[in-house]
Amino acid sequence: MTEPIGQEELDELRTGVRDFLAAKAGEEQLHHVVDTDAAYDDAVWAQMAEQLGLMALVLPAEHGGDGYGFAELRVVLEEMGRALLPSAFLSTVVMAASALVRSGDEEAQAAHLPSIAAGKTTAALAVAERSGSWAVEEIATTAERADGGWALTGTKPLVVDGATADLLLVAARTPAGPSLFAVPGDTAGLTRVPLRALDPTRKMARLVFDGTPALLVGREGAARDVVEHVLDLTATALAAEQVGGARACLEASAAYARERRQFGRAIGSFQAIKHKCADMFTRLQLAQAAAAEAADAAGGLPGAPPLGVAAAVAHSVCSEAYVFAAAENIQVHGGIGFTWEHPAHLYYRRAKASQLLLGGPAVYHERLLQRLGV
Amino acid sequence: MPDPMDDFLRSARAFLDANAEPRGGGPEIEWGSGSDRVAYFSADLPDVAAQKVRAARAWQRRRYEAGFGWISGPAEYGGAGLGSLHELAYAATEAEYAVPDTGVLSVIGLGMIGPTILTHGTPEIRDRYLPSMYRGDTIACQLFSEPGAGSDLAGVEARAERDGDTWVVTGQKVWTSIAQHADIGMALCRTDPDKPKHKGITAFLVDLTAPGVEVRPLRQMSGGAEFNEVFLTDVVVPDDHRLGAVDDGWRVALTTLMNERATVGGGHSGPVADALSLPFLVGLLTANGRLADPAIRRELAALHAAQTATDYLNRQAQRRLQAGQHPGPEASVSKLMYAQNLTRGAHFAADVVGPKLVADTGEWGTFAWSELLLSVPALRILGGTEEIMKNILAERVLGLPKEPGVDPSTPFRELRRSDAGGAA
Repeated sequence: MTEPIGQEELDELRTGVRDFLAAKAGEEQLHHVVDTDAAYDDAVWAQMAEQLGLMALVLPAEHGGDGYGFAELRVVLEEMGRALLPSAFLSTVVMAASALVRSGDEEAQAAHLPSIAAGKTTAALAVAERSGSWAVEEIATTAERADGGWALTGTKPLVVDGATADLLLVAARTPAGPSLFAVPGDTAGLTRVPLRALDPTRKMARLVFDGTPALLVGREGAARDVVEHVLDLTATALAAEQVGGARACLEASAAYARERRQFGRAIGSFQAIKHKCADMFTRLQLAQAAAAEAADAAGGLPGAPPLGVAAAVAHSVCSEAYVFAAAENIQVHGGIGFTWEHPAHLYYRRAKASQLLLGGPAVYHERLLQRLGV
Repeated sequence: MPDPMDDFLRSARAFLDANAEPRGGGPEIEWGSGSDRVAYFSADLPDVAAQKVRAARAWQRRRYEAGFGWISGPAEYGGAGLGSLHELAYAATEAEYAVPDTGVLSVIGLGMIGPTILTHGTPEIRDRYLPSMYRGDTIACQLFSEPGAGSDLAGVEARAERDGDTWVVTGQKVWTSIAQHADIGMALCRTDPDKPKHKGITAFLVDLTAPGVEVRPLRQMSGGAEFNEVFLTDVVVPDDHRLGAVDDGWRVALTTLMNERATVGGGHSGPVADALSLPFLVGLLTANGRLADPAIRRELAALHAAQTATDYLNRQAQRRLQAGQHPGPEASVSKLMYAQNLTRGAHFAADVVGPKLVADTGEWGTFAWSELLLSVPALRILGGTEEIMKNILAERVLGLPKEPGVDPSTPFRELRRSDAGGAA
């Protein structure tokens, strides 16, 4: 792995991404996506790849990436979360690309990672089935040998960016156990149904496989390890996004509390409002610490806690902090915060959807105990 | 080139090896064996408490004589002249050894009042008290809060009136930790009631053995008496025991309070942390047949996640300090979280134990939780109430406006007159 970069460069990276997103993916663009159900902005995606090199950042150097770690990625994800950037970054770079890397399949990596790093390919990972959690036991989609390859049959009801991804990585069952398969997005025998989503800034789709041709990725029966590892990385990445989103909510609330006057004084001078903001701040600080620790663990930094534990702690703490901040942000804004034009509801939607995406509180709390051996 | 820190740690270890036993890695309390006391506050009988204070003084003296008693202090007052990095490193090393708890000396006296004397004391006062405090001979307490000045600390009313080269102090202080063991107290007194609230206070070091000082134990809701009321009646304090300028005591107090936040927010260790650790709680759930209960498991996970994240926060704050960065708001956040986590933990354990917390059935690990349950309300109050901490975060960190209050130039005497029931 490339040497981690120093704090100064991290700050520069943050500023670069923040300025870029403010210019290219501000509130106006956000509302365009939300109001018209438009696809993600391809031009922004291309510039993220070409000008900022964001897709390449954490991908391995031998496959067109820059080989940085999660400490660097965390900064990028925080800024994306802060801007509520509608984009396939989480699905492509974090979920799908990490699955390719973890599979250990050199051929598949060589085939897809350079093009992902260059921003030419988007990808999605389809794991969850019945309950929507990532429990490997629940995978009922099957893969059978056919024509020297494999054929997939089954349904993945909730796939992030599943309708638009150029490449799908699908967890399916063979007699040897859960295995990972690659399916190009335009394959015949694959039906992709875009879904109405709670969070319109992150697209969801149902995928139906009906004898759909697929290529095995990695060893047959070896997907459990891939799924669990990518789940930890996804929780870690989400935690960073959640921190960015929660910070945006706190800053919006504090700014409004300083400006908005009622009863002849700024509402931020009332303790009822002050304490709300202080509570948001406290939870944000805690979330930030948990997200940073998980990112260090994902990057394998010396002295970091085990990834499974740190990722589960971060997912729990950051989910709660973001949901809390997003709800209180609406409350601090009062009536204006409940309008469609005001972005407060978009943060609320993102916060709740992020909390539930990987199974929800009941599931991830149990997952934390499992990771701790309890 | 050899790292000077390595030399320092080598000599620290040599000192500890020669003077203490390794602690062994185990927790202070373990589920199912030994004492089941889950105490935040000590409930020692007076002779046991006195014995512990003697042990603390003796250990501090040994530390001091070996050069580890005041690592970051200046050499002219008996310090080792090193930095906070060395202090943290020594503390981490000493934590591996079984040594007497020196909290009675270090938390308030050495942690808060020592730095205040160093900043605001005259050379004579520094000479007189600093070496003696850091050698373990002089224990210092705070004489800050009063019945009428809690969160609004600048409302202190204890009067100090000038009489030639001395001051005569009369008033009542309350919530004073460790006053029963202390030799001196740092008192905030009203010296000019005709000046605005913050501008008429002066800070003094008061000899607690002087005539007119009476320390009465104050029994807490948890049963013990760790706090005190201190009555000061015509206590004579020499003018050279003044800290800072006359009427400039608020600034002096801020130095002390800044060090308090750092102390109270501190890390988790000791019997309470052990009792709320995962292995202990798993023992509790297993013994009560609740380990498979999904509602209990969910709360256990949420509690553990919050505690772990607080540990991460403390660790990262410490790393930033070690890297030479200024302390941020983490200490305040950590203090709020510590109170919240302990409160949540106490109620979690109570839920699991159920009716066996209502009365002492004699069963190990059940009624013992009542002590923690009855202690946790203090954590949301001591060292600055939750409400005041939140005001500070909102105003200083988030830039929210202060509550419009009385005109800050109003003389203190008029404020008291306008308070219902208050006396000027």
